[in-house]
Amino acid sequence: MLNKGLFKKPKNELEAQHRIKRKTDPAIPSELCRSCPSCKQLSFTSDLENNFHVCPKCGHHFRINARQRLNMIVDPDTFVEQHHELSSSNRLEFPGYDEKLEQATLFSHENEGVIIGTGKIDNHKVALFVMEATFMMGSMGQVVGEKITLIFEYAHKHHLPVIGYTVSGGARMQEGMLALMQMAKTSGAVKRHSDAGLLYLAILTDPTTGGVTASFAMEGDIILAEPEALIAFAGPRVIEQTIRQRLPKGFQRAEFLLEKGFVDAIVPRSIQKETVKRLLTLHTIPKGGDQNGSI
Amino acid sequence: MFSKILIANRGEIALRIIRACKEMGVATVAVFSTADENSLHVSLADESICIGPAAVTDSYLNISAILSAAVLTGAEAIHPGYGLLSENPKFARLCAQCGIAFIGPTWEIIQKMGDKDQARTTMAAAGVPIVPGTDIINDPDEAHQKADEIGYPLLVKARSGGGGKGIRLVERSEDFLNEYALARQEAQNAFNDDGVYLEKFLTRVKHIEIQLLCDQHQHVVALGERECSIQRKNQKLLEESPSPSLTPKIRQAMMEVSRQAALAIGYENAGTIEFLMDAQGHFYFMEMNTRLQVEHPITEMVTGVDIVKWQIRIAAGLPLTFGQEDVHIQGHAIECRINAENPLLDFRPNCGTISFLHVPGGPWVRFDTLLYQGYSIPPYYDSMVGKLIVHSKTRELTIRKMKAALCELVIEGIDHTSQVQLDILSHPLFIAGDYFTDFMENEFGKPLSE
Repeated sequence: MLNKGLFKKPKNELEAQHRIKRKTDPAIPSELCRSCPSCKQLSFTSDLENNFHVCPKCGHHFRINARQRLNMIVDPDTFVEQHHELSSSNRLEFPGYDEKLEQATLFSHENEGVIIGTGKIDNHKVALFVMEATFMMGSMGQVVGEKITLIFEYAHKHHLPVIGYTVSGGARMQEGMLALMQMAKTSGAVKRHSDAGLLYLAILTDPTTGGVTASFAMEGDIILAEPEALIAFAGPRVIEQTIRQRLPKGFQRAEFLLEKGFVDAIVPRSIQKETVKRLLTLHTIPKGGDQNGSI
Repeated sequence: MFSKILIANRGEIALRIIRACKEMGVATVAVFSTADENSLHVSLADESICIGPAAVTDSYLNISAILSAAVLTGAEAIHPGYGLLSENPKFARLCAQCGIAFIGPTWEIIQKMGDKDQARTTMAAAGVPIVPGTDIINDPDEAHQKADEIGYPLLVKARSGGGGKGIRLVERSEDFLNEYALARQEAQNAFNDDGVYLEKFLTRVKHIEIQLLCDQHQHVVALGERECSIQRKNQKLLEESPSPSLTPKIRQAMMEVSRQAALAIGYENAGTIEFLMDAQGHFYFMEMNTRLQVEHPITEMVTGVDIVKWQIRIAAGLPLTFGQEDVHIQGHAIECRINAENPLLDFRPNCGTISFLHVPGGPWVRFDTLLYQGYSIPPYYDSMVGKLIVHSKTRELTIRKMKAALCELVIEGIDHTSQVQLDILSHPLFIAGDYFTDFMENEFGKPLSE
């Protein structure tokens, strides 16, 4: 290395005398960057937004909320939300549940853990449900179950395919048996929709666990998953503690489930809309054709 | 005035900026990659910070590392130099968000001028002549009519075109419909988009650019022009100011149009508007460079204005202390870009250790370089190793001075381009000032007819 003291300092006075008075010292605002939990590299928030909230360095899919997902998948200005007003109450008088609900509403800006409605994907009209992780980890209580049932019933009545994004910690324990019975209720609605010959496309995102995995998440005609999403009934920590053994790397991740045949394909966010669009095109009955697709 | 500036660049331009700061009493922070730890700019700056490994994407283009370096050292402004991040609107915007002044125009302007289409329409709206042409035309008959209005030869260009594909040259009106159909077909096949537009085909053109300085108080001065028609594969080799082919009237018109355009778009800091000029003296907007340019020293030589210092003052909010009427072009200046390339091997870049260096001297000779004796040129970066600039009273005297200076320049250890520049300076067409952008391709190296 060249000697640091190679050159003398000229000791010139600062030109134009006055220093600029600054309101604040230069600093990198914390909201400008996010560090990737997988590769620990720093990325600019704007880069992440332009890259479907996927780490440009390692491909890690950051968790995103339901509205962001809707923006990514649905054609602009076509989404019409249904039953936004439904919200949960503490029927079992579970201690602390009221406060939790209140906090979840404030934190997520949503009334419950799922958004349902209709919209267009590349001009195909579809019914959608998108679960919201920031509302009590997308856990399924009566309202979540009811909204999902309602959207399947609506889709059945109007002959629409259903596109569903799942993210959930499972059934909501504060609602006890009332939450658990949502598994049977939603499954019934999925079955009736399916019996009518209609398409249900489930997209499992990180994490999809518990009662949701054990019901409508795994009942899709086609089941897609995001890379490295945790998809489980009982989570890895519970299993490790029960069997007292370390689990292999990648256990219960989307890639593992694909290998075991529980998932049909892993679709990164960058090609998700394109994939859904193609699947919809393939499964749309041409005008004038009957339900078997023949013309 | 800023008390500390970070220079987000390397090589001779980093040195150039550090020198300006030293004169102004501004403290400097150099950033460098691991391959550059022995570079001069690292030693010359008051502080230096390593920002990553050799590859530019990991170091000199690593925005988060550079911003972190600025914040850690308390730099109030960043000078991006040329190339690298200098025309990156995202970088300029992030600087602003971090409370660091970006020495250059606003990110909105950088973005606008970086988009070819948007720059063209913005400039046309500001009254700058653009190459005659059309928007996308889908009706063959309408296109034919427009083509006749523009005149031949003309180009049919694909909207999504690139890499020479989707461009067809039409020489005569009777060929138009056929070529137009072929161009659309080709564009459809290559880019899945058959949108095409028409543009006048300019032959025998000169590359002339106007240097502007604009402060934050709506003062704009044009510092004359530079002629940069000596290019090889779009890389400039030699530039001169003033251009031997500009009449005072055209110069006046070009400067006025450029100043008005800068005012109209609210331009700030140093910038250059590039024009193509045909043999008849018609000039058309080509693009705007929203940064300091490599060849800025020739303008400094003929105007006596230190462009880098003014960039810093303007970014600090100071007004220009001189007006257009105070700008007088004096004498003539030529710059030769010395590249570490072997002209005998199709200008293949090379690197190595400098075993001996002799820098030309004497009055009005300037050599901006990153070289020193014993320096090893790393293989990762641009091949330009120095710029030789000379200034004299007339063009003829300047050519003489440049020839003498080039012969005095000795760089042992690498192959470089100075012999090519010596040959250019002796070429009759260059001496006559009668050269165009195709000079290196079509004239240079051809046996002379006499």
